[in-house]
Amino acid sequence: MDRTVRRIATSYALLLPSLIGVGCFLLLPIAVVLWLSLHSWNLLGPMKFTGLDNWRAVLGDRQFGHSLVVTVVLTAMVVPVQTALGFGVAALLAGRGRGGTVLRVVYALPWMCAPVAVGVVWQWIFAPTGGALSALLGRRIEWLSSPVLALPGVAAVLIWMNVGYVALFFVAGIRAIPGEVLDAGALDGATGWRRTRWLLLPLLRPTMFFVLATGVLTAFQTFDTVYALTRGGPDHHTDVVAMRLYSEAFDAARPGRAAVMAVVVFAVMFVITFAQHRYFRDRTSYEY
Amino acid sequence: MSTELRGGAVRSGIAYLVLIAGALLTVAPLVSSAATAVKTPGQFANESALTPPHPVTLGNFRTVLDQGLGRAVAVTALMTVCITCGQLLISILAAYAFARTSFPGRETLFWVYLGTMMVPSAVTLIPLYLMFAKLGWLNTFWALALPFLFGSPYAIFLLRQYFRAIPGELIDAARMDGANTLDILVHVVVPMSRPILATLTVITVVSQWNSFMWPLVAASGAKWQVLTVATANMQTRYNSQWPLIMATTTLAIAPLVVLFVVSQRQVLRSIAWTGLK
Repeated sequence: MDRTVRRIATSYALLLPSLIGVGCFLLLPIAVVLWLSLHSWNLLGPMKFTGLDNWRAVLGDRQFGHSLVVTVVLTAMVVPVQTALGFGVAALLAGRGRGGTVLRVVYALPWMCAPVAVGVVWQWIFAPTGGALSALLGRRIEWLSSPVLALPGVAAVLIWMNVGYVALFFVAGIRAIPGEVLDAGALDGATGWRRTRWLLLPLLRPTMFFVLATGVLTAFQTFDTVYALTRGGPDHHTDVVAMRLYSEAFDAARPGRAAVMAVVVFAVMFVITFAQHRYFRDRTSYEY
Repeated sequence: MSTELRGGAVRSGIAYLVLIAGALLTVAPLVSSAATAVKTPGQFANESALTPPHPVTLGNFRTVLDQGLGRAVAVTALMTVCITCGQLLISILAAYAFARTSFPGRETLFWVYLGTMMVPSAVTLIPLYLMFAKLGWLNTFWALALPFLFGSPYAIFLLRQYFRAIPGELIDAARMDGANTLDILVHVVVPMSRPILATLTVITVVSQWNSFMWPLVAASGAKWQVLTVATANMQTRYNSQWPLIMATTTLAIAPLVVLFVVSQRQVLRSIAWTGLK
């Protein structure tokens, strides 16, 4: 009995610091966000309980609806392209020796870079005067201040950041496939595109799930890059949800409404994760 | 046979060309921004953005370092080191408890930890800001470090998987020799887990050095400004003085590139790990 008590006490002693962390900085904030969503406050004065007023205001807010659309469009531009390009790079990269290692290092570089710094670098690349792209094309293009080009510009930067990273996941996935399986496919005459389509792609389904799931979840939360590139402009054309939430809380000083947005973001991400999980679980029944 | 071989060589050659072109596209923005960082303002104003720098000057770095960026580098480094040490230490303890001991509530707690991995940072942003404002701790070092110091569910999850694969006989043998739990952790578990610990170190250093959203609201004052926040502010301050701004981004990016080259095996492994598990 005494030993059991001691064993349990030891376990909880080991867990205690992380319990403090998870409790104070993850669980408590979630409770606070729900509580805050029911109050009106301007970051300074007293808080007032207003029930579901914030919810009604946000869910009826066209600006917020617009930012949801912008985020979905951005995600829809970024994820398929980065996944396809990443897979292509990986298919070419897998199975290459020394040269492959150097290339993999190069492709992984943008993953290490602070998204804010990357955003600022690309702001220079897109700059109409003194920028690299204008110099390259020999003409001024008002890239990030154009309502049409700004969002594709943001998407291009995100794709540039992620392709190499996605490729490395696929390389790891290809390496995890037993050699005999690929050899058997080669004996059956599967080469080139057919090998990729009927052998590689089905076997890489778990990797595909991971890359798509994390791709959608991170694209949906994009903040740093947009902050550095456009701050949501011009005229809200790149106003992604995280940017909207930030400006609602800290520029407009309406944290109650931002709290509602936070809950909506969480709900959307939960639904996406759940749906992806279901979809891929039903189609990943075999083992290799 | 020989045509087949030749076909393979041609295909391989084309594959390399495509890969190298992609690699050039990947590094070009970084290289050209670094090149702009060492240009004189005169050259930048008078020549195309694509000309190589001549003469090469470090003056832009000196200017931005004197303008407060030096301090931001130090603050960022201190924050990154503190958080990385705290996260590794505390995650090791918690992961060991989850992997190797049994206690009432273990499964439930583990699911709670896993669940918190799904919480987007935008959700906790405002409540954390509120809490630190209430405590009067905004614009302090604690505001930067405290929320991330106490381990991360993600690290705990990865470590737990790893710890479960350590043979139980090793731990039992150590216990027979009179070792207590801490001895076992220090002398058996940690030495056997070096690869995953190195991987986690890289992941944590990268994410903390680059973190932006929380430092932006928690410590945007000059005193405890981190490099990413300072970079965003420099962009406003040096409106279109691109050589100075590129010196700033180069300083924000270069330390991790160096770390990357030194630890590239861990980095590549970390990506493989996080993708497969």
